[in-house]
Amino acid sequence: MSNDFYAISIKPYAAIIIKICRAYTNSQEDFEDYYQEVCLQIWRTRNNFRGQSEWSTWVYRLALNVSLTMLKKRKNNQQYFTSEFLPNELTESNQAFPDEDLNQLYDAIKRLSELDRGLILLYLEEKSYKEIAEITGTNPNNIGVRIKRIKERLKKLLDGKVD
Amino acid sequence: MEKSIESIWKQGFINSDALVAPKLNKLYNQKSIHIIDKFKRMFRINLNAIVAGSILFLGISFVIGIPYMGIGFFLTLSIIVIVNRRLSRGLNKIDKSESSYQYIKAFDNWMKQQVSVNRIMARFYYPLFFLSGVLGFWQYHFNGKQLGEAITNKLILNYPGIDLIFGVPLFIILGVILMMVMLSYFGGKLYQWDLKVVYGGVLRKLDEIIADMEELRNT
Repeated sequence: MSNDFYAISIKPYAAIIIKICRAYTNSQEDFEDYYQEVCLQIWRTRNNFRGQSEWSTWVYRLALNVSLTMLKKRKNNQQYFTSEFLPNELTESNQAFPDEDLNQLYDAIKRLSELDRGLILLYLEEKSYKEIAEITGTNPNNIGVRIKRIKERLKKLLDGKVD
Repeated sequence: MEKSIESIWKQGFINSDALVAPKLNKLYNQKSIHIIDKFKRMFRINLNAIVAGSILFLGISFVIGIPYMGIGFFLTLSIIVIVNRRLSRGLNKIDKSESSYQYIKAFDNWMKQQVSVNRIMARFYYPLFFLSGVLGFWQYHFNGKQLGEAITNKLILNYPGIDLIFGVPLFIILGVILMMVMLSYFGGKLYQWDLKVVYGGVLRKLDEIIADMEELRNT
C-alpha cells in the first residue's frame, strides 16, 4: 500500500474505521489487527469503487463487512468470530477512549448482536435510514423500528437495568 | 443515565485523542485473519499438499509394487484437487464492498456450494480409496507370488466349493462391495462431521447474521 493511497484515501476516513473496529473487538491488539485488515481490504478492492456512492460510504461498507467476518487465531488453531459475546468480567480492561461515558456506551454496543452493532454505529454517524439500508442491504422501512429497539436496549444496558 | 446516546457519541469524539489510528506495520504479525483469506490460503496449502503427496505416492507405489493403489489414489486425488481449485475461484468473486447482506450471503452461498460438492465427492472418494487399496494389495507380489492369487489358492484348498468370479472368491468381492457401500454412505457424513468440528462456530454465526438480516429485510 503506497503512502499516498493511505494519506489520501484512508487517513481522512480513519475515524470511521476506528469507530467500527472498536465495536467489534475487545482488546487493543485485536483492534489494531482489524484496523489494518480493513485498510488492506480497502486498498485491495480500491479498483471496484465506481463512484456510485461516496467514498466514506464505501469505507463504512468495507469496514463493516470485514469486521463481521473476521476470525481470531487461537493457540490451538481453532477459529471463532471475535465478536462473540464475552461477559464484561472476562474481558480485559478496555479503556479505548479518554471519555468514560463513551467507553460505557461502547461496552453496551458490544453486547448487541453483530448486525445491531453495525446499525447503531451508522445511526450514530448520522447516516439516513436509506443509507443504512443501502450499506447493510436491508429494508429502509424496517430500520427505524430496529434502531428504536436498539436504542432502548442500549439505554437499559447503560442504566444497568439488564445484564 | 442522563445523557442521550447521541450526545455521548458526539461529545466522546470531540477529543481528538479518541481517534488515534494505529500504525500499519504489523501486517505479518496479525492475531486475526479474514475468513475469506483464510479459506483461500487453506485451499492453496491443502491442494498443494495433496498434489505433492499423490505424485510422491504414485512413484513409491511403482517402486514397491502396488501400482494400482498408486494410480487409484493419484486419479482420485487429482479429481478432488481440480474440483476444489475451481471452487476456490468463487472466493475471488466475492466482493467485500457489496452491501453486508449480499456480501455475507455470497460467502454463505460459496460455503454451501463448496460443502455440498465435497460431501458428494466424499461419497465416491472414500470407496475409491478403499478399492484402490484392495487392488494394490491384491496385485502385490510377495515371495514371488501375487498376494491375491495366494489368498485365493489357500481359500480353494480349504473350501473347495467356493464360488469364483474372474478368479476371485465371490465372498471377497461381496465384502469389498459391502465396505464400499458403507464408505459411500458414511463418506458424506464423515465430511460433514469434520466440517462441523473445524468450522461449526463460524457457520453457525454466519447463519445467525443472515437470519437477522433477512428479518430486517422482510418484516
